[in-house]
Amino acid sequence: MKIAVCVKRVPLTQEVDLEIDAGGKDVRKGMLAYVINEWDNYAIEEAVLLKENFEGDVTAVTIGGEDDEEVLRRCLAMGADRAIRVDPGTLELDALALSRILSEVIKGLHCDLILTGVQADDMNEGSVGIMLAEHLGLAHAAVVTGVEPEATGATVRVELEGGMDEVTKVSFPAVLSIQTGINEPRYVSIMGVRKAAKKELKVVKVEDLGLTDADLSMKTMVEEIFLPPETEGAQILEGDPGTVADEILRIIKEKGVDV
Amino acid sequence: MPFVHPAVDTYLGLSGYVYGWVIFVISLSLFGFVIYQRYQILDAAQPDPRFSSVVRRVRDLITYGFIQKRQPRYLWAGVLHLMIFWGFIVLGLRSVDLVMQGLGLPLLRPVMDGGFGRVYGILKDAFELIVLFACIWAILRRALVRPDRYEGSHKGEAHLVLGLISFLMITDMVYEGSGLLMVKESGAWLPASRTAAFFLREASVQTLATIHNLSYWLHILTFFFFLNFLPLGKHFHIITALPNIFFKKLTKGSIKPARWGVENIEDVETLGIEKFEDFTWKQMLDFFTCTECGRCSDMCPANAVGRPLSPKMITLKLRDYGYERYPVFGTSRKTNEKNKNARIVGDVITPEEIWSCTTCGACEEECPVFIEYIDKIIDMRRHLIETSRNPKTFNQVLMHFEKTGNPFGKPAAKRADWVRELGDVPVRILEEGDEVDVLFFVDSFGSYDPAVQAIASNIARGLQMAGVDFGILGPLEVDSGHQVRRMGEEGLFQFLVETNVETFKNIRFNRIVTTDPHAFNTLQKDYPITYEVQHYVPFFLSLLESGRLKPSKPVEQDIYTYHDPCYLGRHNDIYDAPRRLLRSLPGLKLVEMDRSRDRSFCCGGGDIILWHEIEQEEMRMAAKRITMAGEAGANTIVTACPFCMIHFEDAIKTGGLEKEMRVVDLMALFLSTL
Repeated sequence: MKIAVCVKRVPLTQEVDLEIDAGGKDVRKGMLAYVINEWDNYAIEEAVLLKENFEGDVTAVTIGGEDDEEVLRRCLAMGADRAIRVDPGTLELDALALSRILSEVIKGLHCDLILTGVQADDMNEGSVGIMLAEHLGLAHAAVVTGVEPEATGATVRVELEGGMDEVTKVSFPAVLSIQTGINEPRYVSIMGVRKAAKKELKVVKVEDLGLTDADLSMKTMVEEIFLPPETEGAQILEGDPGTVADEILRIIKEKGVDV
Repeated sequence: MPFVHPAVDTYLGLSGYVYGWVIFVISLSLFGFVIYQRYQILDAAQPDPRFSSVVRRVRDLITYGFIQKRQPRYLWAGVLHLMIFWGFIVLGLRSVDLVMQGLGLPLLRPVMDGGFGRVYGILKDAFELIVLFACIWAILRRALVRPDRYEGSHKGEAHLVLGLISFLMITDMVYEGSGLLMVKESGAWLPASRTAAFFLREASVQTLATIHNLSYWLHILTFFFFLNFLPLGKHFHIITALPNIFFKKLTKGSIKPARWGVENIEDVETLGIEKFEDFTWKQMLDFFTCTECGRCSDMCPANAVGRPLSPKMITLKLRDYGYERYPVFGTSRKTNEKNKNARIVGDVITPEEIWSCTTCGACEEECPVFIEYIDKIIDMRRHLIETSRNPKTFNQVLMHFEKTGNPFGKPAAKRADWVRELGDVPVRILEEGDEVDVLFFVDSFGSYDPAVQAIASNIARGLQMAGVDFGILGPLEVDSGHQVRRMGEEGLFQFLVETNVETFKNIRFNRIVTTDPHAFNTLQKDYPITYEVQHYVPFFLSLLESGRLKPSKPVEQDIYTYHDPCYLGRHNDIYDAPRRLLRSLPGLKLVEMDRSRDRSFCCGGGDIILWHEIEQEEMRMAAKRITMAGEAGANTIVTACPFCMIHFEDAIKTGGLEKEMRVVDLMALFLSTL
């Protein structure tokens, strides 16, 4: 089974007080720490598990600069066989252009399965996987929480709205957007990552992919980024933990929760 | 000897000397072969430089090997052992003499027949009785008292060996006693031989001669059987204990590198213990040397709360594995069916055992022969990390350490935010090129965890009151890596070390003072730096003793007890400084817990427990420790480690003991009196 996994390096933001940069169209990124996108971490783990259990070959793909190779080396350490970085140079790209580039690279790999994360932690658009499937003309399943490969396809478990699950059969080749929780991604040690440097990591320039300017032009542009305005209605409870707990209970009951 | 030596006699037409030589040659060949086979294990092992500081090693060998200072920590067992050990030392000469007589090489006779011999004869006779008495006592003790710590040990072997030793004593007594009767000699005070003679007093000359010869040959046969039996089991320690003590670890609290003698750890194929040969030769020698006394497990706090860890069983299981892999007979290094596919880390030693250890060092402090456990545990953890078999809860924590320099994933930019709480106490946040007297290394918990921030704030206040020129690194500081190294993530630890060392280089300071005993230990022992590093307790004691700080306000009228944090006490021998600091506080009543100082009972630890729950646990270590404090009559437990404080606070709350017990950090208590 040949598998390609699309991964992205994203900033770690959960504990950070984000600030808007001078242009007002992005956040200040200078001090941010970068990691592999959480969903992509599950996707690469799923690919490696499929390889370990059913044999196969895994290629990790990312679009970005040299710094982004870090996530590829992580993927290699986790068990991917090779990695490809597409260098966009100074090009600005939106989700559509990203998916177009990815499709061009992945087309040549002749994969049975292409995995992406459901979404990326930075922009939360959740659209690259779907558009990638469209460009490749392949079947797509979104928010996948289980994959069981069979002879020419796979049984796929998909998370629906309202807490429902759906079981679908897809035939290969197919694109799946992987949901968090599908597996337990492994830890790879720093030494493991460094040793993975011996594995193949190919760099492709975006201009060598034969895409037209139209293919790469942005169809969506950010107008403004701003922090949500502070609103009224927050209530801070003070006192010792016991009193605070009683107060919380009283408020919850008051709001009509049956406890 | 005036009577005819048994070897002079003929047996089945052959001279006794022929038998003597046959027994001697066969036994020594066999013994040499077995030792050579055991040596193969050492030879296959990894290197470990243990030849430095020879003077100190010799001194420790005398203290712990010959005087056996650690033995009486378990009083009666220790006394018994000392009796038998010194019996062996004294009677060794006698055995050599007897064997050489049987070979027709009475080289020791001139010495033994002289003045020395007469004194020695009395001494050896006295020791034969002492050893015999000790062996009988030990057999009875094992049969009647049955201490728990022998659970899982080879008890049959213990009885067999005690029996063999007793038999050696008795045969020599009978040999000498029958000899005395035969020559009707009286004079020298020989308590053991005379005792035997008393029982044989009615025997005829003929019978005496037979008994005399028989007891000699039985003695010789038993001696050589015993010699060959030693390397096969736990009594190998009779041969290996002294070397094991000589080669003991000299820097308690440090962790061995992933591989000795390798400059760049990337060159090591796999970190940690994958196969048996990944242990160092000293770790192998540990396996040979374990006496199965079980003091390690008896003192192990993880064991005490029902976690699946017994240090003794770790050694025993690995020794069994190794002996099966390197059998004495048969050259193939195959293992038996059961162990054929067993991985050392995972099957022989389970992950639960490996993660149960708090690295508190109680086992190592107790071991009479200085077996090391922590390095082995960490080496096994390294392999679990390398093969992604760590608890999943570590994944995010380790990622945070790497990306943000702290386990919480909080931005480095916020590392000094805690100083805002200090209000009017100015805290300098150092930058490259700055100069300062004291570099206050706050570490991650002090920087970000609200409970520990309070300790850091108190230290800052104290430093300011004493007029100390100090500063913190703030965003330039990354975690000391104590936890990372003990979780087994060696590569990440090295990364943190490099980052901090680089920062240290660019700031001029005289000494480092830490919030936390763990950071103190790691900076001092695991970092390639030579700066003076102090934990806050000894540093504030020096401020107190130089008169820069004067406690004047009385403390609250409680009964205080001091809990020795493992990384201040056991790993660094700082026991008196905190007590002196405490006694300087006006009105403070201090009681000691049963388990204090080097026998302190770990609170649960400052590493694995923070992120991994050991399910198989009857109670929290901290809860058990709180009970001990109560039994000592205290209602306030003082500690000097942030993690002890966190665990005790938790145990007090979950146990509903707020009225009976409180915990206070020594810094807070000290500050309250200024």
